[in-house]
Amino acid sequence: MSPRILVIEDDVDTSDEIAALLTTSGFETRRSLDGGEGLKLALSEPFDAITLDRILPGYDGLEVVSRLREAGRHTPVLMVSALGDVDDRVAGLRAGGDDYMIKPFAPVELLARLEVLLRRRSAGEPQLLLRVGDLELDLVSREARRGQRRIELLPREFKLLEYMMRNAGQMLSRRMIFEEVWEYYFDPGTNLIEVHVAKLRKKIDTPGEASLIRTERGSGYVLDAP
Amino acid sequence: MRLSELWRTTTARLTLLYGLVFALGVPVLLGAVYLQSSIYLTQRIDIVLQAAADTLERVPRPELPRRIEEAEAINGSLAVFGLFSADGRWLAGNLTALPAGLPDDNKPKELPLTPRARTLRITVRSLPGGETLVVGRDINQLREMRAIIASASLWSGVTILVAGLGCGVALSIAPLRRLRSMQAAAQDIAAGNLKRRMPISRSGDELDVFADAVNYMMSEVERLMNEIKGATETIAHDLRTPLTRARAQLHRLQQAPEIGAADISRVVGEIDTVLERFRALLRISELEARERRAGFSRVDLSDIARQAVDLYQPLAESQGVNLSLGPLRGVMVEADPKLLFEAVSNLVDNAIKFSGASRGPGGRVVVSLGPDERPAQIVIDDNGPGIAEGERLAVLQRFYRSEDKRLIPGSGLGLSIVAAIVRLHRFELALQDLPVGLRAVIDCTDPTEGLAELPPER
Repeated sequence: MSPRILVIEDDVDTSDEIAALLTTSGFETRRSLDGGEGLKLALSEPFDAITLDRILPGYDGLEVVSRLREAGRHTPVLMVSALGDVDDRVAGLRAGGDDYMIKPFAPVELLARLEVLLRRRSAGEPQLLLRVGDLELDLVSREARRGQRRIELLPREFKLLEYMMRNAGQMLSRRMIFEEVWEYYFDPGTNLIEVHVAKLRKKIDTPGEASLIRTERGSGYVLDAP
Repeated sequence: MRLSELWRTTTARLTLLYGLVFALGVPVLLGAVYLQSSIYLTQRIDIVLQAAADTLERVPRPELPRRIEEAEAINGSLAVFGLFSADGRWLAGNLTALPAGLPDDNKPKELPLTPRARTLRITVRSLPGGETLVVGRDINQLREMRAIIASASLWSGVTILVAGLGCGVALSIAPLRRLRSMQAAAQDIAAGNLKRRMPISRSGDELDVFADAVNYMMSEVERLMNEIKGATETIAHDLRTPLTRARAQLHRLQQAPEIGAADISRVVGEIDTVLERFRALLRISELEARERRAGFSRVDLSDIARQAVDLYQPLAESQGVNLSLGPLRGVMVEADPKLLFEAVSNLVDNAIKFSGASRGPGGRVVVSLGPDERPAQIVIDDNGPGIAEGERLAVLQRFYRSEDKRLIPGSGLGLSIVAAIVRLHRFELALQDLPVGLRAVIDCTDPTEGLAELPPER
């Protein structure tokens, strides 16, 4: 069954676009143009995730998410906002949002973030060993191996690899990586994350082996078994 | 300049008020002096009169007329003596008739006018033989003094009022003239001449203080207006370029028989550029609108430097730039760590970009903490092409990009973001020449430490 997404967004054009994007990507969508109605829907029907505009008529985004949490619903919420300051992000996450994305955004980024949220929800038990193809990451001994070869990683590279392996097969945008791995929320520029990923890739792939990290042009990176 | 306007000035009103107080005060003062001295003089006269009367009272009766004559000779014309029989007949002395209304006790009394228009102070004694002895003194001088003082009060009052009016007018002319020129300046500014400033007389009076404050405000307004104007122009220019390109490409695609994915991603790339600039622009407005000190805490500058070098090391390597850390030591400042890191990142990013572009593999960037303990600084040195002195101020403004560097990718807003962050912290950003390359310094001394928050004194 395809995941059901509730889109709460007051701008009709943006809402149309998000819905179209989600439908073509195989999601089932419901839409709501204002906060109060959106909240009612979220409370009455099961959804796998919600995209929620921060500024809405009726209840605003922060109120919707905090009421949803008060009602004991843990549906993952991706907040979408034109307010990009760190304080706004903190407010959004504190109210109960699971991720925070700044407008304007690329459609693939919205999809990627939603996928990560859905995956995090279905992750189940905490894993001690991550495995993608012949690449292994031991979260207890903090060791990485590819086949028999041990890979030496700096702490930040470890964190980057962990994030990518947890979301294996999923496109991760530069911004998502920067936010998750470095925990900074400004625009890192085009090349900065690129070179970090390239460096990690060099450590993971040796000549002759199939590359595990794929670059999606213009949008981000995917780590996947070949 | 009309008189009615002059009267409305504070100076004129104050001068007039002072004049009025003086005009009223002088008669009061003179009156008090008169009252005190007349009381004093009267007492003196009374003592003398009593003494004279006592002396004459004790003189044996047969000798009395002679003694009265002697006393008259000694005391002169102001003294009055008179001896009258029990039935009121004159016996001796220069007082020829017994005045009406004589006091019957021994207390001296002032008598109204006698036929010769004299005012007398008189004491009366009844002698054992039934005669009446009158001893008195002409006190007309007291009366005259009273008249003198009254007229002095009147004239001084009038003089003071007139002088006050004159001074008020005279003193108001200069401030009113200055007010007029300030008014003219204000109208000129309102009409759009933002370069105009309030005239200042250099006397440092309250009008100057005010004019100074207005001028400071106007400089800020002018700076902001220029910034907005400059920003609007550059935004229009910088956004038009990618949009025009995107439009041209779309137009071409419209005509093309078939459309490849590469064509579309080129257009998307152009539009991404526009969006990136918008995002940076919004970021700057956010920073500028932000409440200061919202996320502030104690931050170790060496942590910031270390993290920035860690983050940018791979990028530097990929450009063949040698990125290194200078000697570090713990320097704590009060700052928003995320924002300060963003600022330093931007500077390091720029340094790598420019030294890499101009030097290739010979590029070098050093992040250090400045030579001294105080002021606390983060210093980023590169050996890139530097920035021409004339352009240094401009590069800190929104969207400015040195003309010959347009080939290097970027929103052109990095330094503006740095400048906005630095302004938010009240730190200072300086761009300095090195023998080869550029030094960017964020001076993290809080200028408000130990200082009141005032506009700079002139």
